[in-house]
Amino acid sequence: MPDFTLLPDQTVLLIQIAAALFVTAFLSFIYVALTTIMSILKLQKVAGKDTDNLLVCDVAYFHCRGKRDNQEDAVYISPLEDYYSNGVVAACSDGMGGLLYGEVVSKYVVEKLHEMYPMSFDDQEGIASTIKGLSAEVYEQYHLGAGATLVMTHIKKNMMNFYSVGDSNIILIRKGRATLLNHKQNYVSLLIRKLAEGGMDTSEAYRNSRAKALIDFVGNIETNVIHTSKPMQLYEDDIIVVSTDGLTDAISLNKMKNMLLPEYNAQHLARLMKSGVKNKRLPKQDNFSAVIIKMDRSLI
Amino acid sequence: MIEYFTFKHRGESESFRDEVYLTLVPHVTVAVFYGSVMRTQTKVSPEMFSGLLAEVSSDADFNRMCSVLDDKLPGNAEYLVLRIEGNSIACFRHGGVMAKIVINGDLKMLPNGIFGLNDGDKILVATENFYSSLTDEGILADALVSDTCAEWMNLMVRRISDTNQLKCGNLSAVTLLVR
Repeated sequence: MPDFTLLPDQTVLLIQIAAALFVTAFLSFIYVALTTIMSILKLQKVAGKDTDNLLVCDVAYFHCRGKRDNQEDAVYISPLEDYYSNGVVAACSDGMGGLLYGEVVSKYVVEKLHEMYPMSFDDQEGIASTIKGLSAEVYEQYHLGAGATLVMTHIKKNMMNFYSVGDSNIILIRKGRATLLNHKQNYVSLLIRKLAEGGMDTSEAYRNSRAKALIDFVGNIETNVIHTSKPMQLYEDDIIVVSTDGLTDAISLNKMKNMLLPEYNAQHLARLMKSGVKNKRLPKQDNFSAVIIKMDRSLI
Repeated sequence: MIEYFTFKHRGESESFRDEVYLTLVPHVTVAVFYGSVMRTQTKVSPEMFSGLLAEVSSDADFNRMCSVLDDKLPGNAEYLVLRIEGNSIACFRHGGVMAKIVINGDLKMLPNGIFGLNDGDKILVATENFYSSLTDEGILADALVSDTCAEWMNLMVRRISDTNQLKCGNLSAVTLLVR
């Protein structure tokens, strides 16, 4: 046993205080370490389930005019503070060039989405039907004289529904692969089906002068809304890009997958893409807009 | 009820050397034979494969049926056989033909064995060549937006077409939907 008799009383008191602090700190360390281990175990258990409540959306966007005189793109992001109750809705609408009032229609579309929010996550048919109704309203107003595309994702926890009309993009980047989730509703898809059914190759379809012509859009009568009937599962580090074609005309999916790495946050990813398009300096750069959503794991 | 849609495409090859076999009675049996794959140099013709399956597919015991196939076909023959009975599915895979199932918003590969099936489950059986131009995310997205097997197949064919204009050799696939 240490002999403190030769030490002054004040020093002995200080040593006792130090010893007490050390014991407190040691016990606190043990408590924190055990709590952390328990949290990690819980996290792993939750991550193995279909419903992963700990995935959150990191969201950023850009909205640029390019070389056009007008901004015909419109973007919508639902209030992020409602994420846990209603999920996050992200949408882009691209007013159709060549038609008058494209700008008006795309803005009208996102205003209507804002009015529709909050949307029921599991009512995919209802939401698709509302979008169809929206298209009918535009048709009644302009009789094919104006139109817009629409791409929209609705993410809640680790699940995603998506909706699409026209030729804008919903891209999923996962494990270094970039996949366009929605098909473009253009004339080439009809030609491909016809040629494939006849057992032929489809190169002729892509050479058709009307290949890229839209066969469906918001403002068409009886619009077909592409939509998920059941949601798609998302994972940590998935990156979802909801964009107009001004972005993909400048940056291919192949380049995008190399550019958008999961170690960056959504804001940085948005900045990278925006500068990527600008650096291309395309003389006829279309309006380009996108919402970038990165799935992150929250420890809280 | 099982809804199905088959897709067979010769591509730029001289002939179609794969085989898609389908029977509905006494149980739903689906088989895809990957005869076009170059590396196997298999001596089995598509017709021989179909003939053999027609002989054995009525066997009530799936495992016994698969053993017979395994014995009678050369070791390098590549094929997959599925049997759907009630609310279960049995899978036997040999080589580069795979079955993938859409389940809980995700796409999983169906391993050899017997598994439960639910209403709304969607299954794709296809050769490696069919899968080679697709990503799992694309297959899944197409399944989730499709109401019918034909629609699902058409969307996947569009994806393959976008990468190679269907100039890619034999393509063989079957989509199945449990209703």
